[in-house]
Amino acid sequence: MELSYQEKVTLIKLKDLKKIKFEELVKETGLDQVAVMRAVLWLQSKGLAKLHEKQKKIVKLTETGRRYAEIGLPERRALMVLREKKKVTLDDLKDVLNEDELKPIVGILRKEGWASVKKEGGKLVLEITDKGIKAGERPIDAALKILVKKGEVEAGKISKLVSIKELKRRKIAEEESKTEREVEITDEGLKIAEKGLEIKEEVSFLTPELIKSGKWKEVEFKRFNIEAPVRKIYPGKKQPYRAFLDKIRRKLIEMGFIEMSVDSLIETQFWNFDALFQPQNHPAREWTDTYQLKYPKMGYLPEKELVERVKASHENGWITGSRGWGYIWSPERAMLLMPRAHGTALSGRQLAKGVQIPGKYFTIQRVFRPDVLDRTHLIEFNQVDGFVVGENLTFKHLLGILKRFAVEIAGAKKVKFLPDYYPFTEPSVQMSAYHEELGWVEFGGAGVFREEMTKALGVDVPVIAWGIGIDRLAMFKLGIDDIRYLFSYDLKWLREAKIIW
Amino acid sequence: MPKFDVSKDDLERLVGESFTVEEWEDLFLYAKCELDDVWEEDGKVYFKADSKDTNRPDLWSAEGIARQIKWALGKARGLPKYEVEESGVEVYVDERLSDIRPYGVYAIVEGLTFDEEALKQMINLQEKVALTFGRRRREVAIGIFDFDKVRPPIYYRAANKDEKFIPLGFKEELTLEEILEKHEKGREYGHLIRDKSYYPLLVDSEGNVLSMPPVINSELTGRVTEKTRNVFVDVTGWDLKKIMLALNVVVTALAERGGKIKSVKVVYKDFEIQTPDLTPKSFEVELEYIKKLAGVELSDEEIKELLEKMFYEVKLVDGKAKVRYPAFRDDIMHPRDILEDVLIAYGYNEIEPEEPELVVQGKGDEFIDFENAVRELMIGFGLQEVMTFNLTNKEAQFTKMNLPYGDLVEIENPISPKWSALRKWITPSLMEFLSLNTHEEYPQRIFEVGRATLIDESRETKTISESKLAVAIAHPRVTFTEAKEILDSVMRHLGAQYRIEEIEHSSFIPGRAGKILVGNIEVGIIGEIHPQVLENWGVEMPVAVFEIFLRPFYRPSL
Repeated sequence: MELSYQEKVTLIKLKDLKKIKFEELVKETGLDQVAVMRAVLWLQSKGLAKLHEKQKKIVKLTETGRRYAEIGLPERRALMVLREKKKVTLDDLKDVLNEDELKPIVGILRKEGWASVKKEGGKLVLEITDKGIKAGERPIDAALKILVKKGEVEAGKISKLVSIKELKRRKIAEEESKTEREVEITDEGLKIAEKGLEIKEEVSFLTPELIKSGKWKEVEFKRFNIEAPVRKIYPGKKQPYRAFLDKIRRKLIEMGFIEMSVDSLIETQFWNFDALFQPQNHPAREWTDTYQLKYPKMGYLPEKELVERVKASHENGWITGSRGWGYIWSPERAMLLMPRAHGTALSGRQLAKGVQIPGKYFTIQRVFRPDVLDRTHLIEFNQVDGFVVGENLTFKHLLGILKRFAVEIAGAKKVKFLPDYYPFTEPSVQMSAYHEELGWVEFGGAGVFREEMTKALGVDVPVIAWGIGIDRLAMFKLGIDDIRYLFSYDLKWLREAKIIW
Repeated sequence: MPKFDVSKDDLERLVGESFTVEEWEDLFLYAKCELDDVWEEDGKVYFKADSKDTNRPDLWSAEGIARQIKWALGKARGLPKYEVEESGVEVYVDERLSDIRPYGVYAIVEGLTFDEEALKQMINLQEKVALTFGRRRREVAIGIFDFDKVRPPIYYRAANKDEKFIPLGFKEELTLEEILEKHEKGREYGHLIRDKSYYPLLVDSEGNVLSMPPVINSELTGRVTEKTRNVFVDVTGWDLKKIMLALNVVVTALAERGGKIKSVKVVYKDFEIQTPDLTPKSFEVELEYIKKLAGVELSDEEIKELLEKMFYEVKLVDGKAKVRYPAFRDDIMHPRDILEDVLIAYGYNEIEPEEPELVVQGKGDEFIDFENAVRELMIGFGLQEVMTFNLTNKEAQFTKMNLPYGDLVEIENPISPKWSALRKWITPSLMEFLSLNTHEEYPQRIFEVGRATLIDESRETKTISESKLAVAIAHPRVTFTEAKEILDSVMRHLGAQYRIEEIEHSSFIPGRAGKILVGNIEVGIIGEIHPQVLENWGVEMPVAVFEIFLRPFYRPSL
């Protein structure tokens, strides 16, 4: 049987003592009271010891009683004076008795028969009697002695000498009830104890010294209350939306996409709009829908040849087979600076820079739109988009790419396609994906980049542009219904947020 | 894009057949529309239509949707035919309008019977076309009048600002000037003409005012009701081609309700035109081009049939489709536009998606990989990652940080002053974060790997958004030293030898601020935040920070 250090110590003592008061057992073991009680209870539960509990009345000396024990009971002090002077007035007793003791003294002396009382000249006069001269130890004196010696005594023992009521009346002692505990070893306990128990020291902490010295073999480890609550701590961790974006990035790389990046959040209108064949009078380019910079106001256009091709595409379609937008293209307008409004701007840059054919490209870009920040709108957010370029790509492939995103990223089983419109793609598609818990979610869009755009940027094969709307999915993953929590400024929420992987 | 309500009954009346809501949802796709919402009102079912194409105003009304669906269902095919008869009515355009609002085109539609739905759709179409296609009436404004109250000929002329008429919804005459001040539409659209010396006015031969384009019609003629039978349509703007298209869209929609279109002679100083001009437009496309890009097996004949569902008249000649398409469309620029119509008519959901087989290798941007490695390192220090906005303002970047105003990338037209600039350093964003979490348990240890946008005149965008790491630590016993311990460890993990040089910087406590140098390159800043700055942000806890550029530490990993 596994016994703790305290249990072993207690059991060894009980082997010799058999049955003992709990308080004495504590003294015998030299452990603290709580530890012994815990040990006794464990021993009892293991059937090795028994705890007997009994309610008892006891009598305890009061402060007054303690004083009487030192200087004598009032009647004893009065008797000393009487024995010396034979005859006294109450005034003569004031030296040995205080106010409270003086009042009842006549009654006590008369009751004991130690003095006779007379009135002489209007004053009480006490005169010692024979009984007073011979007076020896009374039961009350004996009781006081016992109480002084033991502090507290069982009520039954004292009441043989003097009534408890009398002691209480004279404020010598008071009565209390007390639980008396006795511990007794069982036969089973005795058997184990007699076989011999190995006692080890108990420690709370396993210290390096204990390990190094090997002393850990000789000690017992204090048992912890392993169910007790502990303090809350917070780890350092990824921002949850960031973690979600990391996952999307990983997925896209696995799917064969090459990541595009750019060195500024600011874009010229040229790359944000013109290079994407978005005419300069397009509604999306209106003052209310597009930010413009106050400072710096204008950037530079790329190399002249590219600018000329874009200009010609807008104005008359150049050699792209298009009739163009039919307006005079303004280079100044194209130089205006703005915070980037969509990731497609990067696709335009990449196509102009040169691409692998076939090739798959993506970017996760921070973009900006003039909107009001509320629970459904952000002022800046992350867009996931890119393109697939290849010699023989068709519309069927475009649907295939979109569907793959829905399956890989949203875990969708079903998708449906709707005609859509983007200024830079034709044909254009919007995709809804069926998510088990969210139902039909608008999950992405795609289209074949217009030839007016790709040819001007120097690419002569079909380019399928795609973008996926991840915010609904991110909100679902993060368990939020307020989109602002994607960029949470709430530390408590970040600390408590579940991990995303 | 344009969203509007249509009644199911009205659509079914126009198409000539009834369908379930689910069927309508699919049919809407032929008209490049999404059925956004369905509801019932007074026992009638209504749909919210969301038209996807900003270049197809012909699809922005019940008449337009119904027409497209009728064709898609094969109830009609090829070019829609509209008879146009000359009315003999003339409109004279004043040359003084050339820098005010130079062009107007007109038409008459007779024999209409309006009910509530028809009126609603007419007003909706007029509004949507002027709003989206017409850029809030700047480029296209449309007026529709009760023709029986108009005495031709009609004059579109420049008027003095003190001329008077009763604007729609008013009881008394107002001067043109007063209309811009007092009428709701005057306040909304007055800016389009306010600074001109004359205002445009459309009047009849008796001097009765029809309207002040592009602002408001007159009460006398500009109120079309269920009793109206014949209407006069006026479209004004700056681009003749554009307003003629808008006129075509409006009159053909009215013709779908049984109206007869009559044309009007518009007399300019140097030329005359008869409007509307519903002559179909032509285009040519190689069939092979369509077949190759569609990716579905289509015969020449199938392509022809599909195009006929989308209003095209098709002649197959020498591997080409020579098409004519209706005058209410102006979105055909390139063979691609025709390809899309073929695919929509075929049905996107009838096509089996197929993944292209491309031999390609995925690859993350190496610098982003590096940033991610730095983020992992910071998390290892027990710091919580945060992600804050790049958009901010001057106050946060400078004033609250105890700094005088400096250069900042600023937005000309911010939605709110709070979001009117891009940050040039991240530390203020972290201060804002701390200021919003003062009730939360300390210590607070946070970091962000983000962008800070700086001016760089040599670059294409005159800016660079540098990748930076910023760290902030707040708790009762934090000092400069704790920030430096982390910085020191970061530097060792980046393999960089660095030193700190003391600087005076009013965001920090004097003697507890330094610039971080690697060789002679300044790579960042470190310090213990000045109590004045803490007070500015309402943070009652000491804060130590550092912020470094990451680019100088980047080496390709291979």
